[in-house]
Amino acid sequence: MIVLGIDTSTEQTSVALGTEREILGTARFAGVNRHDDAVPAIERLLEWTGVELEHVGGVAVGIGPGLYTGLRVGVEAAKALAQVLGVPIVGISSLDVLAFGVQHTSRRIVAVIDARRGEVFYGLYRPVPGGVMRDGEYRVASPHALAAELEIERGEMLLVGNGAILYRKEFEQVDARVELAPATFAHPWASALVSLAAPRFIREQTDRPADLVPMYLRKTDAEITWDQRARGASA
Amino acid sequence: MTRRPLREGLAVRVLGIETSCDETAVAVVDRETVLANLIASQVDVHERFGGVVPELASRAHVEALTPLFDAALETAGCGFRDLDGVAVTIGPGLVGALLVGMAAAKAIALATGAPLIGVNHLEGHILANAVDHGSELTPSVCLVVSGGHTMLVHMPEPHRYELLGQTVDDAAGEAFDKIARFLGLGFPGGPALDRLARDGDPNAIRFPRAMADSGDFDFSLSGLKTAVLRHVKAERQAGRDVEPADVAASFQEAIVDVQVAKTIDAARDRGVETVLLGGGVVANTRLRERMEKAGAEAGFRVLFPSLDLCTDNGAMIAVAGTWRLLRGERTSLGVGADPSLELG
Ligand SMILES: [Zn+2]
Repeated sequence: MIVLGIDTSTEQTSVALGTEREILGTARFAGVNRHDDAVPAIERLLEWTGVELEHVGGVAVGIGPGLYTGLRVGVEAAKALAQVLGVPIVGISSLDVLAFGVQHTSRRIVAVIDARRGEVFYGLYRPVPGGVMRDGEYRVASPHALAAELEIERGEMLLVGNGAILYRKEFEQVDARVELAPATFAHPWASALVSLAAPRFIREQTDRPADLVPMYLRKTDAEITWDQRARGASA
Repeated sequence: MTRRPLREGLAVRVLGIETSCDETAVAVVDRETVLANLIASQVDVHERFGGVVPELASRAHVEALTPLFDAALETAGCGFRDLDGVAVTIGPGLVGALLVGMAAAKAIALATGAPLIGVNHLEGHILANAVDHGSELTPSVCLVVSGGHTMLVHMPEPHRYELLGQTVDDAAGEAFDKIARFLGLGFPGGPALDRLARDGDPNAIRFPRAMADSGDFDFSLSGLKTAVLRHVKAERQAGRDVEPADVAASFQEAIVDVQVAKTIDAARDRGVETVLLGGGVVANTRLRERMEKAGAEAGFRVLFPSLDLCTDNGAMIAVAGTWRLLRGERTSLGVGADPSLELG
């Protein structure tokens, strides 16, 4: 079954077509200062691969966490495509996709995505045969707090993602046990997403398009201010 | 994919998607006939903040669109494959909110092979009139009044616009919301103020008519807003009771007076017979009454959309998109959102 993968959680737009065995085609571009390029990228990828949209049997999408505006474009495009085509959809955390991309390591994996405002989204993983296994929750914190957390982790670690690169000084101070994955792995790849999602379509562990929403991990400023005021009022 | 040609007499089904602000709206029209027009209102989401929170609006659009598409198509009695076009608002509006509707529209266009048509939200408000009044809307002068806009436009023929004037500060809808909040009427303030004003005396307080005699077609509303706040505070300080209904009615009258006068002047100036109203504030009872009366007295045909087509909706986008589609227009899937898109 052909899976279409879309990830727009960082400043990179990445799309891929593939099955559980092979990647038929992939396109990704980063640094483009606009958020509305996911669907044109899919259109081009279909042309390049000669795959007809009618032959796509499932849509996989990276649901973040990441940059909200761009992230929503990929998620909404994926939802609408799945709805029109009448095919199942699978949403996978973009942190999982990042970690999956560097699964061939013996180290613990820390996937780190820039959350702007001096914070990062992150998740901790360990490599297992055929993939990675996440330990604990997806979280958001300052790079400093994450570095302090890594300080007490045991074993060697591989940090991957644009957040790891952006705050490399912070993490390199942890100690010699921390290694940074090369910049080429800094963004979630839709090809990794397709490989990760394909078994879920086969096992029919899919999501309903109507239920699928981005993983935000952070409330809006307006809600945070509101909560603070509410707490202040009750204190 | 081959598309069936658009022909005279054949149905032209167009999906309309509107997510420029705080309403998620989806519609299906066949030319000027509305087959479905659904809105998922976000009033509950923004109410406690007293205004629209852009990030929350965008989040709500993602949650609302999928079920709205299903419901709209079911109501219209057709499927995605029956669509002849996909129209979507590309501006003006909140950029993050616009991009959600646009992502969906582009995906639907790609998956169905139906052409994408990018629509200016303001043109949508104007062409909403076609649903109730047919396609003969030009030459005309249009007053567009909403939460974000207050402008007078001359439309000599369809899709040609000449901006005659606009607000130099607040939009009318913004002023309504602010005064409504000041009077403790909640959010959104427009409809609540409209209701309250019906029990008040529009001549109780003489608020300033800003720029009424400026000789151009521009508006200013911030002075009026300040005058209302100052009046109420002064009355309260003097120990006098303030009748909120009178304040609401008098404030509303000051806005309506200037808008009616300038619109009629503009219509005379441009020598048109038709005056079109569009935008959320056109739902205001007093504005409709006064504009109809003034139009009748001065010999103009005054048209405004039915109430549900005044506030933001998908049908107005679908109709505007249909008009452009029938002219042979198509929009590239690479089109970007333009938060400050102008008419033209
Ligand atoms: Zn509007």
